[in-house]
Amino acid sequence: MSLHSRISTWWRAVWRGTDVDAQVDEELRFHIESYAEDLMRGGLAREQAMRRARAELGSLAATRENARQAFGTRGFDELRGDVRYALRMLAKTPGFAAIAVGSLALGIGANTAIFSIAKHVLLDRLDVPHADQLRLLEWTSKQNSAVHSIWGDWNHGWDGVYSSSFSYPAYRAMRQQNRDLQDLFAFKGAGLMDVTVNGQAEVVQSELVSGNYYQQMQVTPQLGRAIGPADDQQGAGSVAVISDGYWAKRFNRSPSVIGRSILVNLQPVTIIGVNPPGFTGAKSVQTSPEVFAPLAIEPQLVGTREWNDSLLASPQHWWLQVMARAKPGVRDATAQAQLSTTLESAVKTLMKPTAGEALPRVLVTDGSRGQHEADGQLGQPLHVLMALVGMVLLLACANIANLLLARSSARQREMSVRLALGAGRGRILRQVLTESLLLAVCGGALGLLVGYAGQHALLLLTADPSGEASPMPTSFSWGVFAFNAVLSLVTGVLFGVAPALKATRTQVQSGLKDSMHTATRRRRGYAGKAIVGFQVAVSMLLVAGAGVFLRTLVNLHRIDPGFDTRNLVLFDINPPTSRYAGAKTAAMFRQIEERLAATPGVESVAPESTPLLADNMSNDDFAPEGMVAKKGDNTSELDNEVGRGFFTAMRIPMLAGRGFSSQDTATSRLVAVVNEALAKKYWGSASPIGRTFATSDAHGKKLVYTIVGVCANTRYANLRDDPPPIFFLDYQQSMEISWGITFAVRTRSERTAITPSLRAAVQSVDHDLPLIDVRTQKEQIDQITMEERVLADLTGGFGILALVLASIGIYGVMAYSVAQRTNEIGIRMALGALPGKVLRMVLGEASWLVLLGMAVGLGGALALGRMVASMLFGLKPYDPETLAGAVIVLSLVALGASWIPAQRAARVDPMRALRSE
Amino acid sequence: MAKEAEKSMELLQGTLDMLVLKAVSLGPLHGYGVLLRIQQISQNRLEVQQGSLYPALYRLEHEGWIAGEWGQSENKRRARFYRLTAAGRRRLEAEAKKWNQFADVVGAILGADSA
Repeated sequence: MSLHSRISTWWRAVWRGTDVDAQVDEELRFHIESYAEDLMRGGLAREQAMRRARAELGSLAATRENARQAFGTRGFDELRGDVRYALRMLAKTPGFAAIAVGSLALGIGANTAIFSIAKHVLLDRLDVPHADQLRLLEWTSKQNSAVHSIWGDWNHGWDGVYSSSFSYPAYRAMRQQNRDLQDLFAFKGAGLMDVTVNGQAEVVQSELVSGNYYQQMQVTPQLGRAIGPADDQQGAGSVAVISDGYWAKRFNRSPSVIGRSILVNLQPVTIIGVNPPGFTGAKSVQTSPEVFAPLAIEPQLVGTREWNDSLLASPQHWWLQVMARAKPGVRDATAQAQLSTTLESAVKTLMKPTAGEALPRVLVTDGSRGQHEADGQLGQPLHVLMALVGMVLLLACANIANLLLARSSARQREMSVRLALGAGRGRILRQVLTESLLLAVCGGALGLLVGYAGQHALLLLTADPSGEASPMPTSFSWGVFAFNAVLSLVTGVLFGVAPALKATRTQVQSGLKDSMHTATRRRRGYAGKAIVGFQVAVSMLLVAGAGVFLRTLVNLHRIDPGFDTRNLVLFDINPPTSRYAGAKTAAMFRQIEERLAATPGVESVAPESTPLLADNMSNDDFAPEGMVAKKGDNTSELDNEVGRGFFTAMRIPMLAGRGFSSQDTATSRLVAVVNEALAKKYWGSASPIGRTFATSDAHGKKLVYTIVGVCANTRYANLRDDPPPIFFLDYQQSMEISWGITFAVRTRSERTAITPSLRAAVQSVDHDLPLIDVRTQKEQIDQITMEERVLADLTGGFGILALVLASIGIYGVMAYSVAQRTNEIGIRMALGALPGKVLRMVLGEASWLVLLGMAVGLGGALALGRMVASMLFGLKPYDPETLAGAVIVLSLVALGASWIPAQRAARVDPMRALRSE
Repeated sequence: MAKEAEKSMELLQGTLDMLVLKAVSLGPLHGYGVLLRIQQISQNRLEVQQGSLYPALYRLEHEGWIAGEWGQSENKRRARFYRLTAAGRRRLEAEAKKWNQFADVVGAILGADSA
């Protein structure tokens, strides 16, 4: 027996069936003719001989069939028959097929999209060898920490301060003393930098890395060489490695990029390598910075800003992320203890903390996903979405189960007939299984499309207007899709085959007679009703969830931010410190402000060091003179350095005194404007005008400002918080603008229409200054409310989906129930029941189902509501209006879905109903 | 062909495959030729159902014991000739051995004396 011949004959029979049939025919024809000739030789007439030859050979069709079976195609032929039959059955009930496939597709698709993103944001590791070995160092200390200045992440827990930012000297000390981890390496996501390639200035993300970074990450560039220890030394030539994406975007994947010189923050830097495609740096798994440069050139690239010393030399400024690979067999706790000792002594000698200040202790945490800041930002909304979308899939599966259950009951008779005609039980089960699988496969295939489209839609939904990369993955997660597809396959098989199993177990006779007994039987359909009750409960949860998130968004948008957000175009200017410092910066900004104001189409210009409603904050010391600060009082307030046109351009009314004007210069008296909230906080109802307060500049020098005006309150970093106390300074009189300034331009033109003239105005001052992140104020607000918007959009979509699925479920069950009870209803009507009573009876049956489901759902909504409380705004999670709204919407949908079957029941003609069986 | 006067035997279940293999082991044959050869060797004492011959041929081909090929018959017509493969030869030997042992045992039992 040879496998080859088995396969080849099977293959031929299956795929070239007509060829095989033709061959068999020809072979048999030859047989008949040869035999007939022999018979004729024996004396028979030709016609007679042919007839006899044919008769002895038997039926041609049967032989052909036998031949195919001999080739082992029986199973295949039956399967093909099953599929054909299933397709015909589905085509006969297109509504059923469309609903089943559609709900599966939506369920699978939505889940695949959301879970792909969740997996990417919450689970995916850095694309480096053995990412699981990576550890990220963090530190924690009591509230009164010895560390005062952090550039980077910083969290206030209830038990103290947490951060992953270290000072460079602290890193050096730890690296030197480290025994329990492999060599420590460091990096810093240094933010946006101006890069000029071929005279074109643009803004890209950067990462500064230590000399052993590539070696320890075990990453080799796809082109050129990596940054090595020799590059990370004072006086070494300035070099950079670029990302694969940037190589493709800006250099068209040209190999000649190696050795090219580009300007980074106006410093000439030589490109020495291109990162491999999957590598995203150590900061996050989602997006890669475009330019990687050694830490040693930090002073040239980042600049000293208002600090007089280089960040690399300063033990005061904590800004650097430190990672290492674990040593095999050494526990993290051991490394943690040893590094803590080193860090404590380093802080003591380098920073000389005062007696009351707490020293930081090292925490060795999982670094397999880099610095993973996205967890914190996206974690909670993603978990909520995952829960909701999981419910949607449950609903879809429940729907399939329900439809298949109802359908199998309706086909009880057909199955009995087939059993009676001699079909084996296995054969019938196989048929039902084929149908269920066909539905599931179609649903899965469509779900793939929906998931793909959904993920792209989400990318668009969360995209930054400035085109900055979104933290969402662009790749599709096949693992997630497979999981969802298998889940729905199992549902389909389970709920398709289970009823069929039951149906085929019953006696053929009782199956055929069954319809006579259904007049008053109600017991059947409990499973279906339980499923519908469950669907209503889950829908209640989803609708209530959609309600609270939609209302949160509406509440946020109803907020008056205190300034006119319409017709404002915003962009940032970030001057390179190598070219601008001190007074030169202020003069340059002043010049840009004037050029912008003179640009046609521009009504007014508002420079601001902290753009409003952009999740940005800045605070400084605030000590009113003549007041004794109480111990424990907050001695700093939020501030904003603004230009003269700020209050007019933003349309913030002045309540008393004056705004900034041309009389305020770098050399004149220092003046300030405070808002109403600040005036009230410090001076109550008395006028603050003419009062003075002290603050300090970046070098700690005390400066005294006189308040000349009071403006109305505005929101500051976000829409959620009440307007905080703020003091405004004129940027001409301030030092803290070397970080850059945001220009808010009031214009009636479209953003895209006015951008070229804005750019021209800026470049007429300095050709190398790019406009960073051009956006409208509305887009800026959309950006900070992205979480709320995406949640509202998605939960709203899921809510509608849930309603559709639930109404299909209710309709299906009620329609089935009415169809089953046609006989009973006929009898009732023959005995005198009025149509109205029948209508009420059917609706009543539906309503207890819906009420029960809603009660369960309400309980669930109350229980789960607490978990999302922090994400809501302007309402409680058990917001009575939202819950009442959800109850009303669900009741209406349920009523609508059961109305048609109820109507049908009420219109039953008693005579026909009684005769129909 | 089969003479009506003579009484011929029905084939025992499962022996047709073996006979077909034996027939083609003597040289390639087409389907009709297989039939004739079996009848010729058995001197018309065996009746082979013509309807079951072809399924048997296809089954044997599927198992890889015989291989079919189109060729020309004695009377210059296109016919499908079957020849024994190496696997088929091994199979035939095994079958024949089994059959002979079986026949011996059955013969011995039937031939036993009552004593």
